[in-house]
Amino acid sequence: MSGTSGPYRLPVQATEEIDRSKTIKFTWNGASVTGYEGDTIVSALLANGYEVIARGLKYHRPRGVLSGTFHDPNCTVQVDVEPNVRAAHRLAKSGMSVTAQNVFPSLKFDIGTVNQAAGRFLTAGFYYKTFMWPGPLWPAYEKVLSRFAPGGRVAPMGTPHGHYDHKYVHPDVLVAGSGPAGIAAALAAAGAGADVMLVEEDHNIGGHLRFGNDAELARLAELRAAVAAEPRITVLTNSVVAARYDDNWVSVVQRTLPSAVERLYKARVGTLVVAPGLFERPYVFEGNDLPGVMLSTAARRLIKLYGIAPGRTAVVFTANAEGDSCVETLRAAGVTIAAVVDARTGGNVVRALGRGHVTGVELADGRTIKADLLVTATGWTAPTSLINMAGARPVWNQVAARFMPGDDLPSNVMVAGGLGGDGTLAELIDHATEIGRIAAARAAGADGGKAPLLGVDSHPALFRSTTHGFIDYTEDVQSKDIIAAAAEGYDSSELVKRFTTATMGPSQGKYETINTIAVLGEAVGASVSDLGTTVWRPPFAPISLGALAGQHAEPTRISPMQEWHEAHGAEPLIAGQWIRPEHYGDPVAEVNAVRNAVGIIDVTPLGKLDLRGPDISKLLNVVYVNAWNKLDVGSVRYGVMCAEDGVVMDDGVTGRLGENHYLMSTTSSGAATVWEWCENWLQTEHPDWQVHITPVTTSYASINIAGPKSRELISRLVTDVDLSNEAFPYMKVRQGTIAGVPDCVLWRIGFTGELSFEIHVPSSYGLHVWESLLEAGADLGVKPFGIEAQRVLRLEKGHFIVAQDTDALTKGFSAGIDGLIKLDKPDYFSGKTELAWQRSAGADDIRVVPIQTDDPNIVPPEASQIVVGSKMVGRVTSSRMSPTLKRSIALAQVPASLSTAGSALTIVLPSGNRISAHVFDGHAFVDPQGERLHG
Amino acid sequence: MSVRSATEVPEIVDTSGQASTQRRGSPGPAKYSAINLVKKGLSHGEWPRTFHDHELAKSYDVVIIGAGIHGLAAAYYLASNHGITNVAVLDKSYIGGGGSGRNTAIVRSNYLTPEGVSFYERSMELYRDLALTLNFNVMFSERGHLTLAHTDASVRTMRWRAEVNKLLGVNSELIDAQEVGRIEPRLDVSTNTRYPILGALYHPPGGTIRHDAVNWGYARAADKLGVQIHQNTEVLGINTVGGKVTGVRTSRGEVSAPIVLNCTAGWASLICDMVGLKLPLITHPLEAAVTEPVKVFLKSVVVSGSLHVYVSQTDRGELVFGASTAPYPSYSMRGSLEFTQELASHVIELMPSVAGLRLMRQWAGLCDMTPDFSPIMGFTPVEGFFVDVGWGTYGFKAGPVSGEAMAKTIADQMQAPIISAFTYERFPAGTLVGEKGAASVGH
Amino acid sequence: MIRIPCPNCGPRNSNEFRYSGEPRKRPVGDDVTPAEFRAYLYEHTNALGWVKENWYHSAGCRRFFQIERHTLSNDCRPVGSAPQESAS
Repeated sequence: MSGTSGPYRLPVQATEEIDRSKTIKFTWNGASVTGYEGDTIVSALLANGYEVIARGLKYHRPRGVLSGTFHDPNCTVQVDVEPNVRAAHRLAKSGMSVTAQNVFPSLKFDIGTVNQAAGRFLTAGFYYKTFMWPGPLWPAYEKVLSRFAPGGRVAPMGTPHGHYDHKYVHPDVLVAGSGPAGIAAALAAAGAGADVMLVEEDHNIGGHLRFGNDAELARLAELRAAVAAEPRITVLTNSVVAARYDDNWVSVVQRTLPSAVERLYKARVGTLVVAPGLFERPYVFEGNDLPGVMLSTAARRLIKLYGIAPGRTAVVFTANAEGDSCVETLRAAGVTIAAVVDARTGGNVVRALGRGHVTGVELADGRTIKADLLVTATGWTAPTSLINMAGARPVWNQVAARFMPGDDLPSNVMVAGGLGGDGTLAELIDHATEIGRIAAARAAGADGGKAPLLGVDSHPALFRSTTHGFIDYTEDVQSKDIIAAAAEGYDSSELVKRFTTATMGPSQGKYETINTIAVLGEAVGASVSDLGTTVWRPPFAPISLGALAGQHAEPTRISPMQEWHEAHGAEPLIAGQWIRPEHYGDPVAEVNAVRNAVGIIDVTPLGKLDLRGPDISKLLNVVYVNAWNKLDVGSVRYGVMCAEDGVVMDDGVTGRLGENHYLMSTTSSGAATVWEWCENWLQTEHPDWQVHITPVTTSYASINIAGPKSRELISRLVTDVDLSNEAFPYMKVRQGTIAGVPDCVLWRIGFTGELSFEIHVPSSYGLHVWESLLEAGADLGVKPFGIEAQRVLRLEKGHFIVAQDTDALTKGFSAGIDGLIKLDKPDYFSGKTELAWQRSAGADDIRVVPIQTDDPNIVPPEASQIVVGSKMVGRVTSSRMSPTLKRSIALAQVPASLSTAGSALTIVLPSGNRISAHVFDGHAFVDPQGERLHG
Repeated sequence: MSVRSATEVPEIVDTSGQASTQRRGSPGPAKYSAINLVKKGLSHGEWPRTFHDHELAKSYDVVIIGAGIHGLAAAYYLASNHGITNVAVLDKSYIGGGGSGRNTAIVRSNYLTPEGVSFYERSMELYRDLALTLNFNVMFSERGHLTLAHTDASVRTMRWRAEVNKLLGVNSELIDAQEVGRIEPRLDVSTNTRYPILGALYHPPGGTIRHDAVNWGYARAADKLGVQIHQNTEVLGINTVGGKVTGVRTSRGEVSAPIVLNCTAGWASLICDMVGLKLPLITHPLEAAVTEPVKVFLKSVVVSGSLHVYVSQTDRGELVFGASTAPYPSYSMRGSLEFTQELASHVIELMPSVAGLRLMRQWAGLCDMTPDFSPIMGFTPVEGFFVDVGWGTYGFKAGPVSGEAMAKTIADQMQAPIISAFTYERFPAGTLVGEKGAASVGH
Repeated sequence: MIRIPCPNCGPRNSNEFRYSGEPRKRPVGDDVTPAEFRAYLYEHTNALGWVKENWYHSAGCRRFFQIERHTLSNDCRPVGSAPQESAS
């Protein structure tokens, strides 16, 4: 690498995690880049001399490495079709196409930089103060502004997305973070018999020991060996504990599986040990976002893990031992140390100089030092995210100058390592060992004793120098924006955050929150502890939608005959979880077949409940509005259920198969609800009633055989039941053998208005019986028919459909079932009280009635409104052209005052045209006397 | 009540010298405009305070509990439309800290019932002009609103809504899947999905707005008219004498007031408990989430009731999601994994290409649900105690019209006609509003 | 995902259950007024704190049962297991 400034690749470092024997090649904005296996995208870019990784959102200033970790706010790139890849974390792979985001037209020459000149006008919240007049122009401004939206490009349409996986786990102890404390806690917990999951965000376990001194490296080797030897510990690297929810329900995302892009673990955790270490906090001063200004941990990571010298000549601004040790690391790597500025003795950095990258540093003592690297080590931010999610409110510790957990942690969440306090490596390990032991005990339901506390080391509270700089790198918010916002009245931590958008970007406050609050405190004369921190919301790290979704499995229910339907041209109808035939190509022909010959329809989704016990009639009396005392064995009866507010909730027929044995049918969509409803009555109100309910919806395949020739058809397959009208009249039930299949149930009912038999056959024989019917009826003209034909047939007969012709406010008397509602039943039934009041309701009360348009050729679409003048008073709920009558027919909801036969109605069509209609005289349009049904 | 006419309202430019302990901005142009933005930039001047702090007075004509959009709008319209300025808005937290700052900022008026449509359409009218009314850019983005239908039944409901909307002059129409695909090319309108898109209710005037800006805009305008907004002031009790409200007890002392308005949404039951009033409210968390930003690819607001999800993309490029309320009541705002899982799988079902997009933040707000998905507004059996509650998942949309109607109701001491269907009495009377079919996941 | 302590099956993920509301007593008799009955239908205590509620283990034992749940923390406990001091 030539040149006198900027990053370059060092000779082999003892600690490096790259494999120099394996070269990789990828492209960066189209140019070829080489690196080694183990390089992150960023370390490879730095090795090739590329220092600028991104540009800022608002001012489009060039940005380089800040923390060199997953959460680095300046290192987000597009990789192939994947947007917003964390380039300081993602390992480089051969063949990748990596491009900068948020640049136009290019990273080098970005037109957005004109915003820098305009910067003084683009104060936080500036958009609230302008673009108002002329009002209609905002959409135009909006279009321009949205072109500047940050972030990458979402994958193009049709991009096949990879496999994402889910797994449930139940670790006794889950440790978030694998620094020395996390490892020690995991080892101790495992030693105490717990199954442990140890989760590390980075690519290797060890935390900061990975870039430590010789003694630390030796200790790390021991710890790693101990983990490897412990079978109770499952280690997940390149994985993150994303969130903790109620009852220690913890989500973990793993990115290392060869078989999946990402896997989401859903962990029910005994004890969660939070050991994420600390985030190094950026210092706020002019030029603090220039490439070449970075955190001490970033410099050490680059040198030790990737063999990258982050610059040639460095100024180090340090306030702690880690900063001091960084000086040694830099020196050992051959970086010239131009100055060490010690905050503990009053040193300070005023500004970083340079355009595009650091060229010098101005210090508080008046000196200006030439340098291409400025490293800061001014303090730590505690990532309290996971303990926040556990409901804890961390408290500001002025001595340590960071937030610490308070005493409000739930017992199943513990902390170890830097989040809990300070100490020597040995002290931190000892403390974490004790935490791990107690965590295991608590997970096992034992007490385990009180969690020990760590001490804290004194650290100066350093947030901002005498100049203004960036507080939020992803949102381009500066310290002066915070001060201006506070002056305008946005002077609480929440308001200032919302107004300036500081902490709202992709790094979600990890580097920004404390500086935001500290500068706000400066502005309003309050301390960080007065202002408190804003709540860190889940997730700790972003999770892909793919990982959250996993393998999307949506249950689908089909009848045993569905394959046959599909093979015979059925148009699928999606009805909740069920997929059923809407029609087989010609619904009118299907209607005609039923009216003139015979048709069969698959009604398997019809809800079916098998009821057993001596008290069934009591249950039926309480859930249905009609009376059930006198239903003989062998009879079926139609019933309507209302909720307690009187609103119609379901309907269906129930047949009495034996003394203490009934079969209840429900609507297809209501099956589960009705079952639960019945159980609720039985279990909570009448536990003394002896009724046992078994859902048998899918135990039977159900087929309705309808039409004048239905008896003839079915008689060809049924041998042991007398099917004559005398022996098996309308509204009766029989059990028998159909097409050789015993134990079938036959109902003689008729939703279609035709002579019809509804048969329920053991579902594994459904297809056999279906095909037998078609075969046996070929000479009769038998046709399968679908839902559409059934809708037409029932409409011709004037039957309503619950939830289509009724809605969430339609009470029993509105549904036109007056004759069914038995208010004189002695005991309470669901809806009785409200229905009694509804009976005397006024003229506005809604009625469902059959109607006909005056022009027989116009079918008003369902939902067309019925009006009186300009007032909407009702609507068409079902409408079709009747193939039988060759005219338009409909059901409608109208006010009682307009519900009598012959009442004139005005319907507004979707076109806006008004047509006239009238209430039909009678209930059924076809066969009002029911002769077909009883024939 | 002492009622001043609007012209007598003192011009309050900056009273912070007397009442505020905070730093004051330097004097300068206060009106928000591009010109003043430039002037401020050139002079490095600061803007005056948007809202001021005050000592709590001994008495007010009206005390409003809750400094969210409803409380602030009611205060603003009391002052601007009715000259009632001796008003305190109390909040236990900060301005817009409840549902007003936690919603997904979708506005629309394509409701199902005539009562609902007229009410929300008035809100849309106020929203359209709000930036100019308040001199605060609320970023009303009329980007179009699509409610997808995946089932035969929902196609019917969408047509129902369209028909009602059209008759009331609201721009809504039922469109087919191809048209949906033309408007939003990222949506999978093929029939290969588990729940194919059959069509949609298209409502071009629907869109999004910046929720914080609406809160701040009302707060600033109300403050300017003399209304006092007291943040971090929790109401601990309500005093009544002989069934009449006399004042409130707060964390900062007692205040007397003949009129108290409850605008506390998810916490409304707890405030009503203070006067012994039981309402048909159940508090459920409603969760929301936002992804990392990506370049804008989604123009409209897209809602799928069947898939329990709604999504829009902000100008900043983030996708903002919401879903249905939690399956059991709770005052918890901690959020759940299940919400994000369901959300993600349904969004991917609608837009398969977004699987690699990452969820950045999730949060929750509290919704006070009523049995008929309509609010409870106006008088209560306790004299002087008014409610503007029961907002469920649609409170933000109704903010402006609710403020206007509640101000009118309080000033006239008569239920404003536009909210006549939303009285408390409809429950004992059994005359519920039929909004349920449209509102279950209707954003 | 909270866990609901089913008295028959033990603690299970809440998605196995259906929330079935707070227990309420239906007013009965001929003199019940609409206001009374509709208060039963629609009103809720909606308390913040420990509440008694009905749940149905729909994907388990299919039994209805009562538990106490804290509506802020979502902690659950068997009915009647409250410590004396917080029994309110």
